[in-house]
Amino acid sequence: MSSAAPQRPNGLALFILPSVLLFALFFFLPIGLMAVMSVLTGNPVVAPKVAFTTRHYARMFDDPYYLEVIWTTIRIGLVTTLVALAIGYPLAHWMARIKSRTGHALLLMAVLAPMLTGIVVRTFAWMTLLSDKGVINQTLISLGLISQPLKLMYTETGIVVGLVHIYVPFMVLTLTGVIGRIDEQLEQAAENLGASPLRAFIEVTLPLSLPGILAGSLLVFALAISAYVTPILLGGFQIMTLPILIYQQISANFNVGFAAALGIVLLMISLLLVIAYNRALGLVSGQRELQ
Amino acid sequence: MSTSTSHSPSLAPDRAAAPVRTAVPRHYGRYIYLAINTAILVFLLAPIAVVVVFALNPTPFIQFPPVGVSLRWFEKFFASRDFMQALGFSLEVAVLTTVSATVLGASAALALARGNLPGTRLIVATMLSPLMLPAILTGLALFQTYVLLDVGRPTWGLVAGHTLVTLPYVVRTTLAVLHNFDTRLEEAAQNLGASPLRTFFEVTLPLIKPGVLAGAIFAFIVSFDQFPVSLFLVSPGNETLPVTLFNYLKFDLDGTIGAASVVSIVLAFVVVIGLDRTVGLRSYVKL
Repeated sequence: MSSAAPQRPNGLALFILPSVLLFALFFFLPIGLMAVMSVLTGNPVVAPKVAFTTRHYARMFDDPYYLEVIWTTIRIGLVTTLVALAIGYPLAHWMARIKSRTGHALLLMAVLAPMLTGIVVRTFAWMTLLSDKGVINQTLISLGLISQPLKLMYTETGIVVGLVHIYVPFMVLTLTGVIGRIDEQLEQAAENLGASPLRAFIEVTLPLSLPGILAGSLLVFALAISAYVTPILLGGFQIMTLPILIYQQISANFNVGFAAALGIVLLMISLLLVIAYNRALGLVSGQRELQ
Repeated sequence: MSTSTSHSPSLAPDRAAAPVRTAVPRHYGRYIYLAINTAILVFLLAPIAVVVVFALNPTPFIQFPPVGVSLRWFEKFFASRDFMQALGFSLEVAVLTTVSATVLGASAALALARGNLPGTRLIVATMLSPLMLPAILTGLALFQTYVLLDVGRPTWGLVAGHTLVTLPYVVRTTLAVLHNFDTRLEEAAQNLGASPLRTFFEVTLPLIKPGVLAGAIFAFIVSFDQFPVSLFLVSPGNETLPVTLFNYLKFDLDGTIGAASVVSIVLAFVVVIGLDRTVGLRSYVKL
């Protein structure tokens, strides 16, 4: 193992072991156990006679309610991703192209500040804004623009607004890196050849940043479909998503097997997204980042 | 740069006479661009400002515009046993997590960058995967494991879960530094007779310190704010601050939550500014 030959692992390679142990015990083992639990009839510790079953998966795919939950989760994820892209792209472009160092630092602060303000706090912030007696409704009513409060909370729109706010920084940071690597002279050349800035952007910058758009979108989608706090608080327990259903199966029904099966489905969706994300980033960096 | 007279003839030999028709729209375009971006910044930052206003507003319900400034919600927050216990427990978990994630993550990064390990790409991808895989599944899987092994809900179990989701930050920031510095510095030290151990402590460690430090600070904040993993792994009476806030929020929307939020926002800001002052943010926030 610690052979000194140049291309063999050397002594420093041993420093990987504590992390390997952590991942083995607290990541792969638990996820493996979850996969096992998802095909067992009960808890093998409490009940000695457990058998193999596919009923947890069958229940999920036979009952339209659960398919509806999965579809709601994906729909919220998709809309969140599209809005985050629309909002994140201009900011990322500005950050990548701004000349002043102070300006860049301030923008970075503005993007990081929400990111470092816990999810629960940010969801609470949106509750104070969106609720019936929230800031937005009180302002609109006092201005005489509306007489009844708008129903902003307890709707999918409210959930999407909260999720976009929480995950748009990930989109911005992914896109900024990609746009920053596009040579600005390409845009200038297009403009010198007579293209308007908008056209130069659409025909030069936008196509070159496609891998970043893809990577950022996959990241935001993966994060949005696994969100729990925001959908439950801004949806007021009325809109059911996969993570909420999973927690409910544990806390209210204590149906560990079904929760595990739901977890495995969410895991599979996420794994596909992670692989696609790494592919997309590989397109950008040409394997530069991860050696 | 903003004027259209700066055409470089060598770049556009055939269309050197391209009309200057874009001069006016170009200006409007610039204003639209800045207006859109300002609106986006407002969207990002306004909610945080609203929380601060709400925390300082004396009324027990949301009132806008605010009617005054008071610290009564902060007094209530700091006098509340539940919140103080949760704050203390969160800090304890965050400190323990930061230490373990930093030690494990920095060693792993060192092994990955210098250990000539086969399959480095795959190992890095695996180690970064907790960032993208649903944290709620990490929580669920650990919860099931602890139930099956009948170990209860110990603090070390929670710290292990937090370490798993914060380790990627340390690995990434440390790897970034390790890839940026010249390995010849280490070789030079060894050629001059330093043992590998001495080379590590006198050359490698000081050089990677900013990366490790940045990772440690990220680990602290992420652990302090962590919710989905904690949700499954805390026990009643021993909850972290985000879980206590969440439970409170389900029933009540008074200023105490605002005060608690401001406390954690201030903590994050202090840490971010500290991070920027000490090591600089720019190179460490690549996603």
